[in-house]
Amino acid sequence: MKRHFRELSVAGALALLLIAMALWAPKFFDPQPLLTRLTGQMAPTLVVACGMTLVIIARQIDISVGSQFAICGVCGGLLLNHGVPVVVAMLAAVLLGALLGAFNGALVAGLGLPSIVVTLATMVTWREALRWQRSGVFVDIGPAQWFGLGQAAGQWTILIGAVALMVALALAMKHLAAGRFCYAVGTDAEAARLAGIPPRGVTFAAFVFLGALTGLAAMLAAVQSPQVDPGAGGGLELRTIAAVVVGGVSISGGRGNLWGVLAGLLLLSSISPALTYMGVEAYWEKAIQGTIILLAVVADGWRNRKQNH
Amino acid sequence: MKRLLALSLAVGLILSGCGKNADSGTPAASAPAAGGKKLTIAMLPKSKGNAYFLSAAKGAQKAADALGDTLLFDGPTQTDPAMQNQIVENWINSGVDVIAVAAENKDALSTALRKAQTKGIKVVSFDADVLPDARTFFVNQATPQGIGFALMDEAARLCNSEGEFAIITASLTAANQNEWKKHIDERLKTYPKMTLVDFRPSDDDKAKAQAEATTLMSAHPNLKLIMAICSPGVPGAAEAVKQAGKTGQVKVIGLGLPNENKVYVHGGVTDSVILWNTEELGYLAIAAADALAKGSLKAGDTSFKANGKTYEISGDNIMLGKPFIFNKDNIDQFDF
Repeated sequence: MKRHFRELSVAGALALLLIAMALWAPKFFDPQPLLTRLTGQMAPTLVVACGMTLVIIARQIDISVGSQFAICGVCGGLLLNHGVPVVVAMLAAVLLGALLGAFNGALVAGLGLPSIVVTLATMVTWREALRWQRSGVFVDIGPAQWFGLGQAAGQWTILIGAVALMVALALAMKHLAAGRFCYAVGTDAEAARLAGIPPRGVTFAAFVFLGALTGLAAMLAAVQSPQVDPGAGGGLELRTIAAVVVGGVSISGGRGNLWGVLAGLLLLSSISPALTYMGVEAYWEKAIQGTIILLAVVADGWRNRKQNH
Repeated sequence: MKRLLALSLAVGLILSGCGKNADSGTPAASAPAAGGKKLTIAMLPKSKGNAYFLSAAKGAQKAADALGDTLLFDGPTQTDPAMQNQIVENWINSGVDVIAVAAENKDALSTALRKAQTKGIKVVSFDADVLPDARTFFVNQATPQGIGFALMDEAARLCNSEGEFAIITASLTAANQNEWKKHIDERLKTYPKMTLVDFRPSDDDKAKAQAEATTLMSAHPNLKLIMAICSPGVPGAAEAVKQAGKTGQVKVIGLGLPNENKVYVHGGVTDSVILWNTEELGYLAIAAADALAKGSLKAGDTSFKANGKTYEISGDNIMLGKPFIFNKDNIDQFDF
């Protein structure tokens, strides 16, 4: 119980919010808008947040995910635009994301550069390169919208796919060696190395994995509209890192799980619609989200202090 | 216009070294004879590959043809302030009569334009102004009041001046949008039966705009119209209306670019996209440049006639006039 205090408190906060909505704004649960919000905003962010969780547990960070997301979405979209089958375009986007992640990973793990600086540089470079190349022009994917399955089937595919991926990863992180390696490296890289775990290899792999998931998420988002916006993914790094931290993953590595991240993401992404349904001005949205993140970071710092004493 | 603004802010740092076409287009036709008044007019867009400026160039060419002038249209391949200066320098050396510019960096370009003026070359600016002493007139495409009033009037027209509507903006702190919103609010007072139920930010993100619009429709079942005042917001709101199956029931209008909205305009989801007529902007810029060089347009004039239409001059700004409304009937004539 105490071990999972952070995850449980986030889940508790989410439950309170949902109960409040059920009592005062039951339209919050109207099926069509709810499904559209979950697939449109939450599912792609959840997929990226899964990768981000691994990277943060391994004591690194990647703030270039928004730019990776935009590049993968545009490239996948261009393939769809040229009539390439959806599956091939998605694989290409995943591969491209993995390559972009490998670039970050090589600089961080190979050269030992701080990940915040490396990914800040790649965030700006890739975003500007895309802007230079596309001048903001949308990519038409027309008939490939919803994978060509139609709206309802497409939405359920995306939502179920994203949640299934998260559940599978949550189990893998707990039960597979590769998952435990991440925790070990994030807790104490030197101790991990002595135990025979290669910290650099694990770090590199975490970045590649995050890139691949970002590429996948970009396609899950892209197929939800007939046009891909090259400006997509702006602020994605903030949304995913916030969800991860609020979900109880320690920003200094080594601790946390995806169940907490799911609760954190649901909590943060429910604020805006909750305010709309309650008729509260949007000015409060960022303030409330900021307060939640601050509480999470303070709780994280407090726990680390206690552990160090 | 957030998108074009962002576009013009694109950092050329890494890219400015790349090879770019330095060809500044020497006059193909013979040099203007002093008495014949056949002018060589040079037009400098922020970037010559951008569809927005290509549309302006189309109008500019029409003006040049009508006036019997030679038009040189050249600019950086991608937005690049240094390249703009170089092109102006080349034009000074090859001796054009008048230059019309849209500045990427107003301070840098102004220096080159002042030099052009000392060599007797007249200068007008359009779309994005330079410093006032570096040109005689600025052809001003839109004022915040013009945009705000046009949006509100169009919303009222589509709702028969009655009912609930909501606005989706860029961010709550975006300066341009807040300026437009002020004028929308002002105009809203003349429509007492219309109610603005909410004003939501989209962070200039199409997906977030779609989520906001989705929630707005559900939270306000009587909503008749969504107005998006940032360019990704218009297709975002339209996609939300389409996915909710409320096409026609909830109308969408907004400030945006024609190409991003064609699919929804033809699908009957989006009724009107508001911007200015870029072709007319190009036409007016060249007509003004021509008249300025010929002396029929002088500083201090209060109106200017071009293509049979009279344009107001406010100070040293030639006003293009009311924003243009793109709809089903005309949107296919524009490609940007």
